[in-house]
Amino acid sequence: MTSPMATTELALKLLAPRNADWASILPEISVAALALLCLIQAMFLNKKLNWLIPTTARIGLGLVILMSLIPFTAWNPCSGVATTTFAGLLQLSDVTCGFRLTFLISALLTSFVATRFLEERHAVVADYHHVVLVITAAFMLLTQSNHFVSLFVSLETAAVGLYILVGYLRKSDASLEAGVKYLVAGGLSSALLLMGIVLVYGSLGAITPDSLNFDQIAKALAAGHGTVLTLTGVALILGGAAFKLGAFPFQTWIPDVYQGAPTPTTAILGTASKAAGAFTLFLLVTGPFQPLAPKLAPVLAITTILTLLAGNLAALAATDIKRVIALSGVSHAGFILAAITGILVAGENGDYDTNLLAYYLMAYTIGSFLVAQALISIPTAEDHRRPLLQLRGLIRRSPILAGALGFGISSLAGVPPSVGFFAKLFILILLAKVKLWWVFGVALVSVAVSIHYYFAIIREAVVRPSVDNETIETIEVPATAKFIIGALSAATIIGGLLFFV
Amino acid sequence: MENFNTVNSSLLLTAIFTPILAGLILLIGRNLPRSFATGFALIAFTLPALITVWFFVPCAESFGSVTQYLQTNIWGFCFGLNGISLPLIAMTALVGLAAGIKALNQEVESRNAYLGLILFMLGGTLGVFGTNNIIGFYFFHEFALIPTFVLTLFWGGEGRRSAAMQMAIYLTVGAMLSLAGIVIAMQTVGLGIEDATFEQLFLAFHQSQLPLPAASTAITLFGFGTLASLFPFHSWAAPGYSAAPTPVSMIHAGALKKFGLYGIIMIVAATMKIGTGTLSDWFLWCSIANVFIVGLICFGQRDLKQMLSWSSVAHMGPIFIGIWVCATQGVAEGLDAAIFLMVAHGLSCAALFLLANAVRTRTGTYRFDELGGLAQHTPVLSAFFIAATMASIGLPGFGNFWGELGVFLSLRNEPFILQVLVVSTVVISAIYALRAVASVFFGKVSSAIEARHAYAPIADLNGAERTATILLLGASLVIGFIPSLITNRTNPEAQALARIAQPKPFKAVPVKESNRN
Repeated sequence: MTSPMATTELALKLLAPRNADWASILPEISVAALALLCLIQAMFLNKKLNWLIPTTARIGLGLVILMSLIPFTAWNPCSGVATTTFAGLLQLSDVTCGFRLTFLISALLTSFVATRFLEERHAVVADYHHVVLVITAAFMLLTQSNHFVSLFVSLETAAVGLYILVGYLRKSDASLEAGVKYLVAGGLSSALLLMGIVLVYGSLGAITPDSLNFDQIAKALAAGHGTVLTLTGVALILGGAAFKLGAFPFQTWIPDVYQGAPTPTTAILGTASKAAGAFTLFLLVTGPFQPLAPKLAPVLAITTILTLLAGNLAALAATDIKRVIALSGVSHAGFILAAITGILVAGENGDYDTNLLAYYLMAYTIGSFLVAQALISIPTAEDHRRPLLQLRGLIRRSPILAGALGFGISSLAGVPPSVGFFAKLFILILLAKVKLWWVFGVALVSVAVSIHYYFAIIREAVVRPSVDNETIETIEVPATAKFIIGALSAATIIGGLLFFV
Repeated sequence: MENFNTVNSSLLLTAIFTPILAGLILLIGRNLPRSFATGFALIAFTLPALITVWFFVPCAESFGSVTQYLQTNIWGFCFGLNGISLPLIAMTALVGLAAGIKALNQEVESRNAYLGLILFMLGGTLGVFGTNNIIGFYFFHEFALIPTFVLTLFWGGEGRRSAAMQMAIYLTVGAMLSLAGIVIAMQTVGLGIEDATFEQLFLAFHQSQLPLPAASTAITLFGFGTLASLFPFHSWAAPGYSAAPTPVSMIHAGALKKFGLYGIIMIVAATMKIGTGTLSDWFLWCSIANVFIVGLICFGQRDLKQMLSWSSVAHMGPIFIGIWVCATQGVAEGLDAAIFLMVAHGLSCAALFLLANAVRTRTGTYRFDELGGLAQHTPVLSAFFIAATMASIGLPGFGNFWGELGVFLSLRNEPFILQVLVVSTVVISAIYALRAVASVFFGKVSSAIEARHAYAPIADLNGAERTATILLLGASLVIGFIPSLITNRTNPEAQALARIAQPKPFKAVPVKESNRN
């Protein structure tokens, strides 16, 4: 008979992370180390050498992207099966490796977009990079979570970082106001998530040894152990994820926060944070809650329809560019939800491409950063006030920025042959195949509606001449911005052409 | 692949890529000297027309089969013609040449970019009919549509902003729907998206006999229908053509729009077999609405270019019905006539847009109430305009006559009421078209024209406009007098399609329906 002490020791030995576990999260560790490096540089570097900080972050992120692309490694096994690490806390699969790239690319683009913006406003560049990198690492871990503890911890790490970034411009009332709004709304969503986790934990606790582990929850639910309490918990958890994604009815915080936040932060909220919500939702409904699919599918379908309608109808009435982009982001959340619903209905071995979500989010990221870069380059007194009129005559002030808006908006709107068109197309194909005709119809209508408000932006920027007697001030576009605009514009077309070749 | 290196296959590639390359050079070289740009663009506009006309010369066959070759491995595209696309590509090239002559004769801002984009549009449209694989077909269509938006936005006339927006909405949704339907069809039979040709998709369906969900046939049909302005998804078309600069309207309404019809023929009718179910009834009723309702809308137009734009939507009706009767009733003549009408309509509609613009440049207006009696000042313009109008309403001698007659004849086994509705297209179009001719060219000379004439004498058609019009109307006359040029090519394909369409049950002598004629 073994003593209790020995049992505990054995358990600790079994649970202790192995070397392979650490190797599997090497990209995440590298990003976190990079975050610390940024802080250390800021402490010890001469003021004149401050330009080194963003450069380090960019080179580092570039290296991490290359590293995570190397196949057949501990962190990118390409084995076709999921490997569980850290005693069931994390799970690495080919799909999550793809998700990781979305966050890394988004962080790299943020660094390019943000640096000059912050310098112009006399804000600290190093801290911003540090926080962005921490958030990125947290998101990368989040999408690998296989346990509610790791899920909640990484989600909260990222959320705290985002609170900081939204209120980053301490001298701007709008930024601070948005920060408070985001804090309150985000706190509410964390509370929902936590209460949901507790309910699931409690209601399944007597049945499984660890009712926070995704695999065990799935097993318990498949065996039919779910009670009303469990279902309530599941609903609250999905609500928490839907908040991050910006799905109905948790979309109300989006316009205010996106508008008030510094534009680079808006880009992060719209891309990395939304992607995190999308991936979390995807992992949850295809992982632990898969057995509930017949119950969840109709709920998700209705949420999809409402999200699409809420986003598009509200965006029609908006007159501020950042608000239009924010509300159109709700519509994109609707498309993401539509994809998740389609995947859920298609079933585990359904005939769908697992990279559908990552492809859509990549297309959305490219478009969003093009628009963000264009907006940041247009000089303005107040970052949070960007009426459509501000764009008038942009093509004569700076053809490059007008071109960036043209490419970005076309891709977001889904005009063929941009990458955004194909991203939406694949979702529509999935919806048609699983015969979700109502969602299909609403998605199609929302494409039509979205072209209307997206086109209003292009119309102001490209077609409307500026007032004649007004002297046209040309806008100087820095070389990095030109580089980003060129690369992303090429990506909108090449991403679309990938489909053809 | 077979006949990979024949003279004709290289000629086809030359025809498609010359305009595209020339367009690229003109877009990059925005500061190229004017005379160089003119000559260069003229060559690029002419070459495709010469090459595609050559395909109709009898001895062309000795340089490799014209309609039976495949050419693969060019970036995943597969170029080649078939009996249906050959007449269409020739029509496109002729319309493109006429549009090019018109464009070279125009004075516009940033002329080189303008010409370059029109060349892109032409090259894309040629590519639509010159490729054999479905993705290439789609790719070239988008390649032609993007310049269309840009040209309309920057060089368009009144209402260009809302027209371009409407076009963007409808055409994006149409493209999404049809492509979604096609991809579902391909995945149903397990074909890769990259390299499936029309033939492969067709064969795969007919060998496997797999049923395709009716809904995906429907979304493909209405997706293509939107692109070809099928009622009730037609409302983008007329404002789009009206607002676009004239060469763009000519290529778009004349040639590029046939993409949707070609797609319906090759994919919806041939492969997906719309059959005789509910869907085909819907298709029929929408087509009749094209004839009838849009025809009535034409009555209400008080603006020459608006009227032409709407009438080009209305003329899609008989074409749809020709396709319908072949695909569902197995009457091969219906498809023959539909393709004939597609070609003839492209030529006559381009000629009308060209001449309407000539009216506008001389009088400064398109409005009927400000026009009148123009024949007194511009006899040649009037004569050409009347000829083009006669062509479009189907006067014998012009190609449209055979097309419309063929569609009516192919309906011989259909209910009487359907025949009446379809034949009414001739009456309706004759009324509004002739009324337009009367109010623009005859009657008392309007005060606006009088005033303008007093200020500067109104000149008749210039050489370039005459050349372009003669080219278009001449081609229409040639096919009007020698229809076998086209029907010899299309008939084998139409027969094949009619065979695989709903096998027609043997019809006994009608007993009850004595009102059939």
